[in-house]
Amino acid sequence: MATRFELVLAGAPELRLRAAGEQAVAVIQRLEARLSFYRATSEVGRINAAAAERPVRVDGEVFALLVRARELWQRTGGAFDITVGPLLSCWGLAGGSGRIPAAAELERARAGVGMHLLELDPQHCTVRFARPGVSVDLGGIGKGYALEQAAHVLREAGVTSALLHGGTSSVQAIGCAPSGRGWPVAIAYPDALADDAGVARGGDPPPVAVVELRDRALGVSAGHGKRFRAGDAWYGHVLDPRLGRPTDAALLAAAVCDSGTDADALATALLVLGPEGTEVLPDIASLVLARGAGPERYRVFARGIETRPHPDTVNE
Amino acid sequence: MTEHEQSDRERGVPRREFLRQGSIAPLAAFMGAIAIPLEPRRAGRPTHGRALGEEKVGCGVIGYGEWGREIAAALGRIENAELTAIADNFPTMLERARRATPAAATHDDYRRLLEDDAIRAVFVATPTHRHREIVEAALQAGKHVYCEAPLAHTIADARAIADAAKAASSLVFQAGLPYRTEPQHRGVFQFMRSGAIGRASGARAQWHRKTSWRRASATPAREKELNWRLDEAVSPGLVGEIGIHQLDAAAWIFTGLPVAVSGQGQVLQWRDGRKVADTVQAIFEYADGIRLTYHATLANSFDGEYSLYYGSDGTVMMRDAKGWLFKEVDAPLLGWEVYARKDRFYREEGVALVADATKLAAQGIDPTKDDPNVESPLFYALEEFVDNVLNGPFPPAAGYKQGYDATVLALKGNEAVAGNKRVELDPSLFAAVS
Repeated sequence: MATRFELVLAGAPELRLRAAGEQAVAVIQRLEARLSFYRATSEVGRINAAAAERPVRVDGEVFALLVRARELWQRTGGAFDITVGPLLSCWGLAGGSGRIPAAAELERARAGVGMHLLELDPQHCTVRFARPGVSVDLGGIGKGYALEQAAHVLREAGVTSALLHGGTSSVQAIGCAPSGRGWPVAIAYPDALADDAGVARGGDPPPVAVVELRDRALGVSAGHGKRFRAGDAWYGHVLDPRLGRPTDAALLAAAVCDSGTDADALATALLVLGPEGTEVLPDIASLVLARGAGPERYRVFARGIETRPHPDTVNE
Repeated sequence: MTEHEQSDRERGVPRREFLRQGSIAPLAAFMGAIAIPLEPRRAGRPTHGRALGEEKVGCGVIGYGEWGREIAAALGRIENAELTAIADNFPTMLERARRATPAAATHDDYRRLLEDDAIRAVFVATPTHRHREIVEAALQAGKHVYCEAPLAHTIADARAIADAAKAASSLVFQAGLPYRTEPQHRGVFQFMRSGAIGRASGARAQWHRKTSWRRASATPAREKELNWRLDEAVSPGLVGEIGIHQLDAAAWIFTGLPVAVSGQGQVLQWRDGRKVADTVQAIFEYADGIRLTYHATLANSFDGEYSLYYGSDGTVMMRDAKGWLFKEVDAPLLGWEVYARKDRFYREEGVALVADATKLAAQGIDPTKDDPNVESPLFYALEEFVDNVLNGPFPPAAGYKQGYDATVLALKGNEAVAGNKRVELDPSLFAAVS
């Protein structure tokens, strides 16, 4: 899963900025290798290969990240869950186009999902799965975390103004933009804003909001309106870990936090929680874009973020 | 003394050392070859077949730069190692250390770290030209030492380190040459020594990465210190700092040392006033006519890092601690190829070489897939070092002699590059340390 990271560093001299940027990129690459779900030799790969059989020792940094993932799981009432993998697979949502699982298959998958199945031993720095069939995937917070660490390195190197992003869905700002204001980042409507037949609309939709980031992080999660049809019903591509099935509660969600890790996780949670999410997480600036009811096509829910009207949305 | 013991002593080999190294080593040593245990390491398993129990080795990392941080992270995953303290002379690095390992003590002076009796082993990962003072002090303080390679920025300092390590015979000294303890390298080199590629005809190694090699800091004074790699007065250059690992691997597989090296270097991309070349070429000459050509650049990333060993029956490529064999059309069949994955490199087809493929298959692990048990080269090196501290001392695969020889190669290579000349490598240079 290749993600493009871009770093914009403002200031002078260029030599020093380049050097600082290289150090930051090295940090991101190192973390990608260590946290990747797709590499057998990453820390995550190792955990998934062996933690059902025995406690797997991990280094302090990965352990701390797992503890943080558990805290975020608690904070979001289970809407953010790094163990959701088996459910994604059985619903055909892990890189597929979606399908209805057989009852027994769903039962098996549900039994392997839940942070309570992760045993974290701080004394020995080990991770263990309470049973087989469990897996962890830090993809939901990996980019935000990597940008957070990269920002540390940049600040230590004397950088005071920078904008970093990973895959355009995790953004981290250091200081202000050269204009003196926060770095302006546009949150666009999802690409595939579509009608029920899944046809994308043409033209360039305006942004839902432009956030001005100053030493803060933005996480954006989008289901892109993808759906699959089974029988008479439509199912979204976003999985609700609490219910064990897909949800269509939101098309896009965004969170602004001090921490990139939190921003990533909370954006993911908001996509699951839907419009009520902005109430469940009252202490962060957030945005949820949902399908409209009745004649309105879309509804926008925001807290602490100024949104821009769009002909097809209703602002709430 | 029995007749058997007497003949061991005549050979200059202490008998006790053999018995610690397992079954293959004594036989190989008697035959004059170099012992290469083939047992693949599994994370957390002891390397010499004996349980390590609950005993932990208190470890101190001196120098918390990029490599110091890698060492600290790897130690965090080694069963019998406990990262007790970190020393660095820069406050920002100590803050980083506190964030990463809150349980470890931090010191702005390495001498305070050496005073801690709970620390049995230290890992020296400071800039190269600072190694000597710290290694000597650490050995003096009775600590086992893992010292990054190159050992030093001058041959005289490298020799001083080697002499100090040799004198401290009850302490383990290991040089930071991880390929020497890396299972794939060991397995592949054993395979090559068995004649698999036929008669050697040369080697080629490259390291390419587009990066400035410059470091940045918020403090100007600190920035100068941080950029020792760009300071021609102390920097071992690309050949010394980066090339040393590939040069050492070649010396290991050729079981001999070069007799001369010619070099050239240019500053092509990073024209920021530096004199340390950002692009280098070096040719190492071996006594039997074999040449190792080395190319490193900071100007271009194409194809990254790899080494090729050419022979009459085939070519071996080592990259990312993996090996492939490219057979000549008229080479004899090997038979075990049924276990092998083949990877296409444009028109060439490489047979993936996996150490102990038959054993993996017997354990139900598919040897053609990436093994999740495989660790980084650094991990194996540190694991072996910690094992040695607990159960040794026995001669490490990368001891002071290997570290010294590799450092000489690296520094002489850099001398050739910096001077745009050919430098002879007198055997007495290497014989100075035995």
